[in-house]
Amino acid sequence: MMTALTKEWLEQRRTHRLLIVCLILLLFGLLSPLLAKFTPEIIKMVPGGEQISQVIPPPTIADAVVQYLKNLTQFGLLLAVLMGMGMVSQEKDKGTAAMMLAKPLGRTAFILAKAAAMGASFLIGTALAAAAGYYYTLLLFEALPAGGWLALNGLLLIYFSVYAALTLLASTLNRSVLGSGVTAVGFVILLALIEMIPAAGKLLTGGLLGWAGNLALGSAEAPAWGALWVCLGLIAAALTASVLVFRRQEI
Amino acid sequence: MEALKPYIPYLIPVIFIQLGLMVFALVDLVRRERTKGPKWMWAIIIVAVNIIGPVVYLLAGKDES
Repeated sequence: MMTALTKEWLEQRRTHRLLIVCLILLLFGLLSPLLAKFTPEIIKMVPGGEQISQVIPPPTIADAVVQYLKNLTQFGLLLAVLMGMGMVSQEKDKGTAAMMLAKPLGRTAFILAKAAAMGASFLIGTALAAAAGYYYTLLLFEALPAGGWLALNGLLLIYFSVYAALTLLASTLNRSVLGSGVTAVGFVILLALIEMIPAAGKLLTGGLLGWAGNLALGSAEAPAWGALWVCLGLIAAALTASVLVFRRQEI
Repeated sequence: MEALKPYIPYLIPVIFIQLGLMVFALVDLVRRERTKGPKWMWAIIIVAVNIIGPVVYLLAGKDES
């Protein structure tokens, strides 16, 4: 397992996946409080925006948190799909998976090492975004409750992991990168459609993000433990399915 | 515009990351022998599509076979 992990971690660095996830999440960690602060001023500069800006209340710390959640979820999802879609399918296509499995390396370890390496990249990226977001929010607005901010970022990491695990499954199911990408986007759309059902939405990533926002702002809204468990279950189910499918596949 | 002036220094790291990512992707594109699709297309994507362009090239445009 350690050999597979070392290889995958090296791969994350060599293919610039680690660098990209760190830079993009850091960028939006910095940019989100700035956007929250700038938006009313930007609207003022648009022709006819003077009147609209009078109706918009002055930006608050809540706007900074909303921007942070909105930007990081959008770009984190995109990164999870782009990073994960070639992880297994490309190795099957190029024949490197067969070479790796010829060595004493189990198929379960092969998949789990990929998931762990991607998770580690997102962990570092989220930590950078959290530090940057916290610092800029402090400079532009006020200090966020540190515990709540940490919890928000922990839940955000689980959100990224849901889509990373689903993309890994898509990559295991397909032999081409394009096919994996299409399947992964299909999973994303399917999840978004399920989330449109109000009762189901509360138990999926939407519920998780709502809770994350409340935690960061110190709101006393009810915690969404159900959403947390369903998301963790989704990650476990996607990884288990990937392992089971990969064990039966002809490489 | 005047109201935004005091916040311009906060944008420096943001611009630095954006430009750095674009330059990094362009240098990789120039040095790379083969890409998935024509190089000129990737050059346009990297320069014209802000943030996403360099990311898509670095994650999906390189031909490493």
